[in-house]
Amino acid sequence: MGEAIVITSGKGGVGKTTTTANLGTALALQGKKVCLIDTDIGLRNLDVILGLENRIIYDLVDVLEGRCKVHQALVKDKRFEDMLYLLPAAQTVDKNAINPEQMKALVTELKKDYDFVIIDCPAGIEQGYKNAVAGADRAIVVTTPEISAVRDADRIIGLLELEENIEPPKLIINRIRQHLMKAGEALDINEITTHLSIDLLGIVADDESVISSSNRGEPVVMNPANPAAMGYRNIARRLLGESVPLMTMDKQNTGVFSKIKAIFAK
Amino acid sequence: MKNLVYIRGTKEGLVLQLDDQCAYTDMLNELKAKVSDPALDGSAEVQLHLGYRYCTEAQYKEIVATIQNNSHLRVSKMRSEVISVEESNKRIQERQSETYVGIVRSGQVVKAEGDLVVVGDINPNGRVVAGGNIYVLGRLKGIAHAGAYGNREAVIAASWLEATHLMIDDLIETMTDELSVLSEQPEMECAYIHSNGQNIVIDRLQELRYIRPQISTFKGGS
Repeated sequence: MGEAIVITSGKGGVGKTTTTANLGTALALQGKKVCLIDTDIGLRNLDVILGLENRIIYDLVDVLEGRCKVHQALVKDKRFEDMLYLLPAAQTVDKNAINPEQMKALVTELKKDYDFVIIDCPAGIEQGYKNAVAGADRAIVVTTPEISAVRDADRIIGLLELEENIEPPKLIINRIRQHLMKAGEALDINEITTHLSIDLLGIVADDESVISSSNRGEPVVMNPANPAAMGYRNIARRLLGESVPLMTMDKQNTGVFSKIKAIFAK
Repeated sequence: MKNLVYIRGTKEGLVLQLDDQCAYTDMLNELKAKVSDPALDGSAEVQLHLGYRYCTEAQYKEIVATIQNNSHLRVSKMRSEVISVEESNKRIQERQSETYVGIVRSGQVVKAEGDLVVVGDINPNGRVVAGGNIYVLGRLKGIAHAGAYGNREAVIAASWLEATHLMIDDLIETMTDELSVLSEQPEMECAYIHSNGQNIVIDRLQELRYIRPQISTFKGGS
């Protein structure tokens, strides 16, 4: 029996779908069997980021309405042997086409065959959100170092804490720009975690190649040298129970002296 | 026959003492007769003492109307030795202090009839509402509404007072830049309605015992 994790944020555009694609890929690379579900019905993106757009035949709504079997709708990512599957969202209807009970039943069924079922939640707190969280065991809240994203994360954490079947949510801070944070122009990591007071699962650097690789349909995590990919890989390892220290984002000052200084700075 | 309505004069004016054991209608009839007595011709303020009789709102209004329609007397005060269980429970609730442990997050509302103690932060767009005072052991960064049901004496106190909005009774204060400059350090502060009755002002928490001494209910000690 695997576990279901919902990736949510409240605000749009903070990187839920990118995080879903990359975490799923990272877990598949670690040898876990992963199924990604896109619940952003009507505005599906996850298939595009994974480069699986032209292989969709059936979708989530087809499954829930009984027009096909689950395995018929699942799109296999051929780059990862038999490890990564996607259940795409429908594009022609809207979020009210499905309900939380249906989602819960579907996720429970998928958990039998997969180690991880990762649910990509749409922005907002309405029907789409309710559908997405219905079957989840754990929740990951994605935010960026912007006040508006942190406010919305706060709201969504409040809602998630009311869900009895979901463990206390964990936080990912996405799109961190080190130079802004250092200059005090962006919220720093400490500020965000004390404000939201939930556990930090990981941080991801803002990197231009995230955009270019998404456009190519290859999750950035496939390039291990990339700083954003390192963030996602660390998060995947933490999800698997490893304790991985938070990576430092400094590119300069890698000399021995500054390392010693860094130890005392803590 | 025993007097059911007893009128006596005091320094504060006339006192109408109504018998609390007899039938209500008997008392009302005698009251009507007594107050329409032409001997009582001057206008005066009277105090109504109901003793241990429980009167409903309608009955109370009837008594007042009987007095005021049949004489020049005006009822200024009413005193009763009894209240209903419902009213008593309400009073207990209003005096009670509720404790909320946790974070009040954006979009959440925590309400209490009486005083409210929050152990944790109130994040922006989180709201706490209390009939009495609000005490926050943590950062108040959201919205706090004290004395929400008409208590203008209520105060808001917080370890860190950085609220976006403060409300007491029907007054609202948005934390403008001016106010935040005035309180350079948002630590250990309290907000209350100024004695002019029109503004909410912020002071050091230490001043609270002079500003609202009645909040302290503690007795004893040495």
